[in-house]
Order: sequence, then structure tokens, then C-alpha cells
Amino acid sequence: MSGEGSGSKVAGDDSAGGATGDRSRAATSDDALVDFHETDARPPTVAVVASLAAAGAAATAALVASPTGGALLGVAALGFLAGSLRSSTRVLGWGAAVGVVGLALAGYRGAPAEALLVAAVGLAVAWDVADHGVGLGEQVGRGARVRRNVAVHAGASLLVGALAAALVYGVSLAVGGGQPVAALALLLAGGIALISALR
Amino acid sequence: MSDPGDAAVASESDAATLDEAEAGAPERSERAGPNAADADATGTESDAAESAGDAAERAGDAAESAGDAAERAGDAAERASETPTDRERRREVATDRWLGIAGAALALVGLGVLVRQPSLVLSGAVGVGYAVYARAGDAPTPTLSVTRSVSDEAPAPGDEVRVTVRAENVGETALPDLRLVDGVPPGLAVVDGPARVATALRPGTAVTFEYTVRAARGDHEWEPLTAVTRDAAGARERTTVLDAPTAIACTPELSAGGDLPLRGLTTVHHGRVPTDVGGAGVEFHATREYRRGDPLKRIDWNRRARTGELSTVELREERSATVVLLVDARESAYVAADPDAETAVEASVAAAGQAFSALLDGGDRVGIAALSPLDCWLPPGSGTVHAARGRETLATDPALAPTPSDERFYRSLWLRRFRRRLPADAQVLFFTPLVDDTAATLARRIDAHGHLVTVLSPDSTTTETAGQRLTTFERRQRLRSLRSAGIRALEWGDDSFPVAVAAATRRWSR
Repeated sequence: MSGEGSGSKVAGDDSAGGATGDRSRAATSDDALVDFHETDARPPTVAVVASLAAAGAAATAALVASPTGGALLGVAALGFLAGSLRSSTRVLGWGAAVGVVGLALAGYRGAPAEALLVAAVGLAVAWDVADHGVGLGEQVGRGARVRRNVAVHAGASLLVGALAAALVYGVSLAVGGGQPVAALALLLAGGIALISALR
Repeated sequence: MSDPGDAAVASESDAATLDEAEAGAPERSERAGPNAADADATGTESDAAESAGDAAERAGDAAESAGDAAERAGDAAERASETPTDRERRREVATDRWLGIAGAALALVGLGVLVRQPSLVLSGAVGVGYAVYARAGDAPTPTLSVTRSVSDEAPAPGDEVRVTVRAENVGETALPDLRLVDGVPPGLAVVDGPARVATALRPGTAVTFEYTVRAARGDHEWEPLTAVTRDAAGARERTTVLDAPTAIACTPELSAGGDLPLRGLTTVHHGRVPTDVGGAGVEFHATREYRRGDPLKRIDWNRRARTGELSTVELREERSATVVLLVDARESAYVAADPDAETAVEASVAAAGQAFSALLDGGDRVGIAALSPLDCWLPPGSGTVHAARGRETLATDPALAPTPSDERFYRSLWLRRFRRRLPADAQVLFFTPLVDDTAATLARRIDAHGHLVTVLSPDSTTTETAGQRLTTFERRQRLRSLRSAGIRALEWGDDSFPVAVAAATRRWSR
């Protein structure tokens, strides 16, 4: 999908095509999404900046709890930056995977729940906005007006994360700290079953 | 930003008024017209069309024309009205963006259970929240009212035309992620701002975006606007096309060309092409023995004085010619020296325009044909009406469009039809970039059928790479073989067409 936006069309046939640029053939491509050669297919700056801000927040939160986990989240932020620069969703995915490993490591080292929740939401928002930016770059390009779109998307993502974190944190506080971990997991499984039954 | 749109609406409502007056219900529809215009001008949000309808009702029993008026007023007030643009759903796909989020979440939860860390279970639960978020939504089908206005509907070639697109969400649902891609005609180049926007629209809100295209010769019709919507999480994506017709027509003036030398195939009518026929004229042709009845002023008196014999000077007769301008517009002729340069077809059409006006001015009969899968034939003629028709043909005929057509070109069918149409005494000016052998072969075959051919070839080759040099060499070889076959050939590259003609004419014999 990433090569779609800026495919350089080479005039296909024999020697005539070799010597002559052929803009018209490229322009008659019938997919309306790919026909503009003047479009810059890189992700919009605002998306990259928002993603880096969220990833930075996540890394800081994890760093407070566990240096190693924080470092891995920092690597994830670098991965998001690289993926945005190269317009590659795959690199973004690898960045997110490194971030999840960082979360796991920080949690294993006994990070407090608050820091870990902030880091998890930040990581999810950072990946989501970066990936969204790559998609926007492919479809409308860097030059188009996208600020409102990115803001709505990032806001919705942050809202969902914050709600989920508040919910689980509230529940864990309500049931009291003394419960075994397995009980929490079972509670979560019950919640999932309830949601999927309601849908 | 809103100015062009307002202007467009105003002009549309004017047009509506005019149409009504023509429709022939003078008083009532006139009353309906201004009311509609007022309703629009005051800018009441959504009920402009309704009030126009009211006005039409008040107009009473001229039901039909008033109804029309209301409809047109509705069109004119489309900005404020709630009429959604026609749409066609294309496809809905899952973007698979959130693939793996549930797995990662459950991995965190599992690890948390294993190492007895409740914080890990909690952060895994956040991941589950995102997984639910990704599954919850569905990509909405946009219900948009799209208006597109252009700053100039009949620009000159090279003019910049400002295009303003306004899309209003007139549906019930909010569009959290809307991307609009305008269907710019393939022949027009966007020179400022991408013709795209990404935004989010609540019901009742609108987005406006502007871009600039550079006008090129021809009729250009906008393709439907593509709208891509996603749900808030971006997990599903729906593509819709919205039909908002807009068109501009760009007809270049025919610039007067220089004198174009024609070959010796002429009609019997008097004109400007010197022939090899002796008679009345200007230029010396031959002397012959005096015959009774020869005019006195054509007797060669010097010779009479020298030798005592009477002889008569013959002058070249000048006659008019029938010329068909044949423009190569096959797909292979749409070549240019670099991606942003004008194509050989553009250069050919511009040169054909100059030749057309020059030949018409010279009293010759001129026709136009295209070597193209689409049919294009303007029979040879003369006069101002014919000049206008020729200008129209060169500017807007689909066969000579700025971008190639998709249909297949059948050479022998084309040649048969062309020969059937070609008058017997017509000669052919063949405009072709000569980038393949078909053009050269056709030139020779038409010439062999007795229609003298002059090949006029815009040079769009370059010499940067080995392949390009090979193409240049091949083209030059084609020109050489055409010339050795007795076909006049002229090429022009960077210098203008008239200059090349003037330079080449000095070398040509008749």
C-alpha cells in the first residue's frame, strides 16, 4: 500500500517510451486516489508531532517506574518517527511491538499501575496517530489541510484510552488491593464476555 | 474564500431568471424569480428552496413553469439547501489497522497473571478497551451536498483557474474521518494546493477547499468527487463517489501562421500555389512559339529584336489547393521531452492551427482530420464559418484531446475511411512526432495514393540516456527515408513552427 501514492509510471512500450516522459498516461490512471504526481505522500507534520508527543509522554511515564522499560518505549518512539518518515506502517507496527515489550518489562519490574496505565495509553495513542498519519499521507498527501481530522482522531483515541484506563483503575481500587491477580484477570474476562454478549 | 461561491450562486440564479423569461410565463415566473433570488441573497440557512417554492405557489396556476422556477431556484440556492449530492457506494473494506491489539492485550494480561503483577493486568485491560473500540464502529456513508465552482468557465490556455469545492454534511450522522479527493480532469494540471482535504464533519457543518488548475486546450469535465470515510477508530473504510458535474471549455485563438509552402497538387481554381502549368501569372515559367491570339504584353520583344522571331513568355499559373491537416493523435503520439513539457500532440495541434489560418487566408480549402481511434473529420472548406468550425475542432474535438483515448487504433480501417473521404485533389499536411514506424508508413501510403504529403514533425526526443539517443536516431532515420521517398519533411523543436517553416522552405524545390 505504501508504494501506491507515488508510483512512477514508465511509458510501457518499445523505444518510443524510453526517450519520452509520458505524463498523460500516468494521469489517465483510473484510480482517483493515485493520479496526482504533485501530491507529497508523506504523512502530515501535525500527525507526526502529535504521535511523538504521545510517545514521549509514554516513555517518560515508564521511565519513572523502570529505566529499562522506559528506554524500550523511547526506542518505540524512535520507531514511530522512522515509520512516519518512511511512510511505512510496518515500521510503525514494529515500534508498537517494542513498546509493548517495554510495557511488559516495566510491569515485570513492578512498576506502579498509574505509570503503567499512562504509558500504555500513550503508546496506543502514539501508534494510532502515526498510523493514521501514514494513511492520510497516502490518501490526501502532506500538503492538504488535515489538522481537524488529526485532532478528532487523536482526541477520540485519547478519550477511549483514558476511559478504559479510568475504568480499570477504578475497578481495581474498588475491589481493593488485596485481591489475587488471577481474580483481576477473571474479572477482566468476565467484562469481555459481557461486552461481546451485549453487542 | 466564500466570494467565488457567492458569485457562482448569483450567476446561477440570474441564469434561472433568464430561463424562466424564455420559458414564457412572463409575469408570474418573473415574480417567482426575484423572490427566489431574494431568498438566496438574504442567506437564510436551509429554507431558501422552500421559500422559493412558496413564491412559486403564490404565483398560482402557472403550475408547470413556476414549478420549474422553484426547482431552479432550489439549484441556485444549493449552498443553503439540504439536497444531498448523488452518490455511489464503491467499496467498504476493513483496514486491519488494529490487527493484533487484542493479542498484545491478552499477552500483557497473561504475563501479569504469571508474574503476579496487577499493574500488567490493568494495562492489558486498556488494550482490550482499544480492541473493543476498534470493533465498535462502522464506516458511515457520507450524505454530502457538494458544490464546485470555478473562477472562469471559459479560460484561455495557460490561465490559472481557481476551483472551490464546498462539501456540507447534510446527513444525520457525524463523519469523524472524512477525506475528499476531487476528480480533477486528466488534462488539467493542479498548480497550487492539492485537490484534497481531510477533515471531520458534524451534521450541518461544511468544509471548503480550494486549488488552482492551469487551463489547457480542450473541453474538460470534472470526474466525481471521491469521499473516503472511516469510523472513529479507523478500522473500517468506505469509499463513495459523489457526482458534482463541472466543466470548463478552453478554446485557444488561432494564431496566424506564416506562409506555408504547399506542394504542386492543386484545384482548377485560381489561388496562390504556383504550379508547373504555363499561363497567366507572375513568375517566369518558359517561352514558347508565338501562337495567334497570344496577348501582346506576353510577347518576348527582346527575342524579337535579337532574332526576329515571335515568341511568347509563359508564366506560372497560380492556383488554390485543397489541404487536409492530419494530426497524429494515437496514444504513441502523446510524448514529450520531459514529464512537464507539452506533448507532441499539443505542439501538432498548435502548428495545425497556425497552418489552418494561414492556408485559409491564402484562399485554399482546408480540412482537418485526426489519426486517432476516435473519428475526427472536418471536410475541406473555406470562409469564416469554416474558420470558426476549424478552431472549434482543433480546440475541443475528443480525438485531439490533451490526453489519449483508451480505444484501440486500427490502421487499415482508418486508412480506408480516410481515403474514402479525402477529395481526389487534396494534399495532406501530416503532423506527427514520428516516434514509430506506423506514422512513416502511413505517410508513404497516402503519398502513394496520389495525395502529396508533407510531414511536419514536432521534435520531442532528448539525448540524455542511451535509449533516448536510440529513439532520436530512429526518428531521424525515419525522416531521412521519408525524404528519400520524395516526401517533404520538416521538423521543429525548440524554435517555433513558423521559423522552422521559413528555414526549411529555402531548401525546398517545387
